[in-house]
Amino acid sequence: MHIQWNGMLINLPGPFLMAISNSSQSVSGTPPKPFWHILTSVRLAITLFILLAATSIIGTLIPQGESLHLYLEKYGPTMFQVIKVAHLYDMYNSWWFIALLLLFAINLVACTINRFPIISQLYKKDTGLQPVDRLLKMPKSAAFTLSSADSLSEKDLTRLLPAPFRSFDVENGRLFFHESGKWSYWGVYILHISILVILVGALIGSIWGFKGQIMIAEGEKVAEAVERFTGKNFPLGFEVYCEKFFVDFYDTGAPKEFRSDLVIFENDKEVLRKPIRVNEPLSYKGLTFYQSSYEAMPIITFTITSADGKKKVLKLPISEKVNWQEAGLNLGVMQFLPNIHGGQAAHVWIGDDGLPPEAIWFLKGAEKEFRRGNNIYRASITEVTQRYMTGLQVKKDPGVWVVWLGCAGMLLGFGVVFWVAHRRIWLWVGERNGQPTLILAGRTNKNNMQFERFFTEVEHKIRAATGAKI
Amino acid sequence: MILTSSYLLSLTTFIYLGAAVLYLISWIFRVDKVGLLGTFATVVGFLAQTIGILLRWVESYQMGYGHAPLSNLYESLVFFSWMTILVYLFLEFRLKNRVIGVFSTPFASLAMAYASFNPNVTDEIQPLIPALKSNWLIAHVVTCFLGYSSFAIACGMGLMYLLKSKDYETGLLSKLPSQKNLDELMHQTIFFGFLWLSVGIITGAVWANEAWGTYWSWDPKETWSLITWFVYAIALHARFVRGWMGKKIAYLSLIGFISVIFTYFGVNFLLSGLHSYANAG
Repeated sequence: MHIQWNGMLINLPGPFLMAISNSSQSVSGTPPKPFWHILTSVRLAITLFILLAATSIIGTLIPQGESLHLYLEKYGPTMFQVIKVAHLYDMYNSWWFIALLLLFAINLVACTINRFPIISQLYKKDTGLQPVDRLLKMPKSAAFTLSSADSLSEKDLTRLLPAPFRSFDVENGRLFFHESGKWSYWGVYILHISILVILVGALIGSIWGFKGQIMIAEGEKVAEAVERFTGKNFPLGFEVYCEKFFVDFYDTGAPKEFRSDLVIFENDKEVLRKPIRVNEPLSYKGLTFYQSSYEAMPIITFTITSADGKKKVLKLPISEKVNWQEAGLNLGVMQFLPNIHGGQAAHVWIGDDGLPPEAIWFLKGAEKEFRRGNNIYRASITEVTQRYMTGLQVKKDPGVWVVWLGCAGMLLGFGVVFWVAHRRIWLWVGERNGQPTLILAGRTNKNNMQFERFFTEVEHKIRAATGAKI
Repeated sequence: MILTSSYLLSLTTFIYLGAAVLYLISWIFRVDKVGLLGTFATVVGFLAQTIGILLRWVESYQMGYGHAPLSNLYESLVFFSWMTILVYLFLEFRLKNRVIGVFSTPFASLAMAYASFNPNVTDEIQPLIPALKSNWLIAHVVTCFLGYSSFAIACGMGLMYLLKSKDYETGLLSKLPSQKNLDELMHQTIFFGFLWLSVGIITGAVWANEAWGTYWSWDPKETWSLITWFVYAIALHARFVRGWMGKKIAYLSLIGFISVIFTYFGVNFLLSGLHSYANAG
């Protein structure tokens, strides 16, 4: 029985093919069970491929993970109902998509379980014993006429074949058989099991993993992350301190580098110091921190002079109350406009104990007077500097190494399926049609060209050893 | 005049076009010598393109950016074209058949024409944005494009197969490889592409895990590469286990390549996502 695999001829014994294509007709002859039959069918696998591919498209057309009212605005009430019911706003995590993936995994497990013993059994049964006529019908074969049957000792013969080999008595002669790469039939299993391993890794990650976000202003420490989906706080178990954040641009205006200089503190002791960039995360105690965003916050330098000549320079971050004790004033920036009338402006909130607070707009560089009770102050914005806040992605994924293991297995499986061939070569010596004869035969299930070279080599060796003519 | 990479690269558009015409003439008029000329042109074009790519690499260092020319749409198109010719030349060398050239070199020429002459595709050397600064860039792009190029050629073979609805004794189509060989070859090429697409997806996952902290985020580009992977998985399983041959696989090869093109361009232009730096601009 010949089937085409990978453009290479595979020759498997008949039941082999049956085992592959018609899984439920097990060799033991038990009647097929319909449910198991469907579950182990490649028809189901192909159907699932089609379904997974087709449904995956939906999630690339409808934006994922937006807040629900945006879908209502964009798609109207009818489509919105569909999106909501079918969970299309977060399709890849919807129950039906997960169910499809689960069915895919079950199908894969079922196919593997179902075919494993059958192939394994057939694999063991095939000893390499073949009648001489069959040898001559092999894809590669050559017959040599020897001068006498005893011209080659068994030791000579075995030197012609690569080790190891088996030998049998066949039709007034002796048959030597060598094979290699028989295990390559398991390559497909390595591949399929690896896909299961990847899915298991993903499952581990989704159960025990964690994905969150933290924002840290320069010079500040954070001990909690916000979980991405639930919005809940998640204690890190240590503190992350952002010493400095840098952003650098090319002349073209494109970003060149985002960098946060991070320090990890545990029990108020510094334990790790590392700058992180995009593509260069930091890992500590199973949590990994990735550079993902940043925010620039202006800090307004505010200079105030009171009527009696007292002068104070205050640094005002946005939305933070700063106190000038001597004058009994509280100040804060409510709003900052980086570009208004060609300059920078800030809406500054001013309050003190006795009087109702007020808010005044200041343009950078332009001095203004204001009065609180009996006191008159002159004030101006003298400088605007930036303070950065770095945005980090935080991740814990105990499944990721399982996923990589699966990926490595997949590559190994592909390597075996694509490049490792099952090569078989036979050497028979005996009397045929009254003449001492040597027959060499061989076949491979893939990579025919390489096999031909190998076969020719053996042929040359035989000719050299025996001086035989073909 | 100064030999710049862009000039050299746009030149290869015409060399590959010329090669395609020579292969076509050799096929139609059955002049093997013209076919030899086609091979010669393809090899010359390939060398010119290789020099062009290397030159561009050097130029990027001279500009102070210093990165492999695999970072924007222009560079990826050039690389796709280069890879397609590499895979084709390997096949021609192995199979000693030039008719496949008629259906392969046009892909390379078209990609180069689009890269060089579409005003929306800039051939400027751009600096690398932070997300792309990784050693995985080369591994990811090379493996993905080895897959894409193999699929392009498998698509060419699919077209050949459908054109040759049966084995003719004489006439134009008799020069095409026999249906059996074409079918086998197409399957082999699809499997080769599938292997590299898988490696490409894996390297992409490793990289994404390093840059974004997640190896799979259902970003449209990722999702479409998976859709492509499913299409070819169907072709492989249907053939191996259900015995699908010939026409059905040829159609799947075409559908698969449409999916490749959508993964490559469609996602960039029509959908938004994490891979948006691959946009034309």
